[in-house]
Amino acid sequence: MSSNRTFRGGVHPLHGSHEGKAPTRGEAVRDYIAQTVTILMGMHLGAPSTPCVQVGDHVKLGQPIGEPVGFLGLPVHASVSGEVVAVGPVQSVTNPSAMAVTIKNDFKDEWVPLNPLGDVETCPADQIVPAIKAAGVCGMGGASFPTHVKFAVKEGQYCDTIILNGAECETHLTCDHRLMLEDSKRIVDGLRAAMRALGVKKGVIAIEDNKPDAIEAMRKAAQGREGVEVMPLLTKYPQGGEKQLIHVVTGREVPTKKLPLDVHVIVLNVGTAKAIADAVIDGRPLISRITTVTGHVKKPSNLRVRVGTPVSDLIRECGGYSIPESDVGKVVMGGAMTGFPCPHDRVPVAKANNGVVVYSQREAVELEESPCIRCGRCIDACPIGLNPCKLKYLCDAGDMKRAGEENVMDCVVCGSCSYICPARRRLTTSFKAMKDKIAAEARKGKG
Amino acid sequence: MNLHLSPAPHVHSPQSTRVLMLNVIVALLPCVIAGVWVFGFAALATVLVSTVAAVLGELVWQALTKQKVRVDDLSAAVTGLILGLNLPAGAPWWLAALGGVFAVVIVKGLFGGLGDNFINPALAARAMLLASWPKYLTHWPAPAGVDAVTAATPLASPGSYTTAQLFLGRIPGAIGEVCKLAILIGFVYLVVTKTISWRIPVAMVASAALCGWVLGANPVATALSGGLLFGAVFMATDYVTCPMTVPGQWVYAVGAGLLVAIFRRFSVYPEGVTYAILLANISAPLLDRCFRRRVYGHEKGEKA
Ligand code: SF4
Ligand code: SF4
Repeated sequence: MSSNRTFRGGVHPLHGSHEGKAPTRGEAVRDYIAQTVTILMGMHLGAPSTPCVQVGDHVKLGQPIGEPVGFLGLPVHASVSGEVVAVGPVQSVTNPSAMAVTIKNDFKDEWVPLNPLGDVETCPADQIVPAIKAAGVCGMGGASFPTHVKFAVKEGQYCDTIILNGAECETHLTCDHRLMLEDSKRIVDGLRAAMRALGVKKGVIAIEDNKPDAIEAMRKAAQGREGVEVMPLLTKYPQGGEKQLIHVVTGREVPTKKLPLDVHVIVLNVGTAKAIADAVIDGRPLISRITTVTGHVKKPSNLRVRVGTPVSDLIRECGGYSIPESDVGKVVMGGAMTGFPCPHDRVPVAKANNGVVVYSQREAVELEESPCIRCGRCIDACPIGLNPCKLKYLCDAGDMKRAGEENVMDCVVCGSCSYICPARRRLTTSFKAMKDKIAAEARKGKG
Repeated sequence: MNLHLSPAPHVHSPQSTRVLMLNVIVALLPCVIAGVWVFGFAALATVLVSTVAAVLGELVWQALTKQKVRVDDLSAAVTGLILGLNLPAGAPWWLAALGGVFAVVIVKGLFGGLGDNFINPALAARAMLLASWPKYLTHWPAPAGVDAVTAATPLASPGSYTTAQLFLGRIPGAIGEVCKLAILIGFVYLVVTKTISWRIPVAMVASAALCGWVLGANPVATALSGGLLFGAVFMATDYVTCPMTVPGQWVYAVGAGLLVAIFRRFSVYPEGVTYAILLANISAPLLDRCFRRRVYGHEKGEKA
């Protein structure tokens, strides 16, 4: 089942230890239900939602508690039933004051009345996208882009292929792997719903070849489903990057500054497809997700948790830290290549948080930057074809114009260059900062 | 709990600068051992002096110029070691020491330190010594146990040595370059540990042998004599001074090989490897500019 389909460049982080996935890939998903959840209003890309409940309110499972704001807005739903105990800013992974609603669980799991559309093959196609929006579905692979916006095909655009991203190329994570094994049919249902919504004839489920059992399971589930195929890909980071995936699967490249729809493709994470199926078939909003908890915890696991569960609960459910607390050096939300470090372990899980990885102090020390030895490894590794070595000098010198000319805006911030650099230069960090700066400048110019 | 907040990526390739340099040092050890076997302990003394001089030179220079002392990246040790292996066994100790200091301070330090020197420090030091004290640099002691006090190198008198002698290194020449077997062991080690790619050494030697053959030289003798193999494996592959792009490396290596063949055929110095690589070094930045990779989502050569 191994494959040689891949892109140019890339790296093999933690290749010697199965990409860090060995401890959890055989662990079946377990449910964990928190006593208290802190649900962020800004879990998706775009403006945070506005809380529409007050302290003391009783909410039911799936009841809207946040109203969408603006074009990229999404509703937020209660992930437990119970009493609202706080509405106000909390520390999230990346934001020290993120608006959130905290609910104390009464463990009754009383649902609000739902509005199911039924079978994905026979339900009215024009109601699919509204159902996805109403369910608050956003990309669950990390980017958290509101899913219904991806389906907004503009005048003159069309979509001929929907790709489900089951590559899971990030290190440590196995949540998509387990989902593909345990819920294959739902994933295909989600894909079919997406295809029907836009009248797309071709759906491709792309999976790295380090997950032969998932490839097998998805092939079985796809049998007899119209236009759905499974495509094994070589295991290499960042195989699941949107641009790489589109190129590998369709042979097309997304032109610079354009979107996948400009080459007639939509890419969805397999977890997102599952959420779409839940939204369409059962009318159920997105209130839980699978999160891989691994690294220095006693019992590495894949947990299905309610949105808003504190990370500390996840760690406790996994038997606690396996090293003394004083030796815990980093708690990262996500894989090793793109994950975000948590400021403390009480931050809540959001819709797009696919993993929690605990590093020791020794693993977490920031390596000192040293002079570039011009080895060219970063150039070979960059999946986009940039020259990170040169770009770093321009970014550090604050030269926006020349960094732009060297195509810094095409950088996908994948981390491959920083990973491979023997001089430990923080290439990706510099590019991210420069991209943010140029984007801010562009906004200023417009506004 | 004292959590670090450094951004992604949170894991790094195990190959740090120091690991890569250490790999090169390990790969050079067979050459050192072979040098001692061929020339006796005088060879070891020369190599040690140039290595220690390079390391101390870098340490003192970085301390004096108030830079962070980075001799622990081992790059100065590699430079000193390579320079020593490029000298004749029993070269005066001051010559080896001077070369080591010149390499790290003048060629490397003055140009901004590791990564900013545009030519290979060890090679530049050798060229400087050759220009200033030619008599020491062209005085090749014979292998221990061979009669003549100073024998003719295989380049100066082709045909006087068998292929086996050339291969094992029982010939006059610089300490590290005589034993081809040792160099090949080092080469395999560097490729297996992914320290270097096979590309530059293979292309350079093949190109020199082929071009030499066109110019009337025996290709096997070309590959096995002088400093070609040593230069191709250990000096042309220096990260700092070779091109970073793959097509650039091909052109660079083939060009360097061609230059070796031309120098050997037409110049008064039979040994052209030093100058061939130095010239190729100078062209490296230009080659990198010619062979930019196409950026995803852009037409070829298109600017943002
Ligand atoms: S990988 Fe690091 S040391 Fe090598 S060229 Fe790139 S920036 Fe320089
Ligand atoms: S972070 Fe940017 S520059 Fe670095 S490898 Fe990824 S795309 Fe290339």
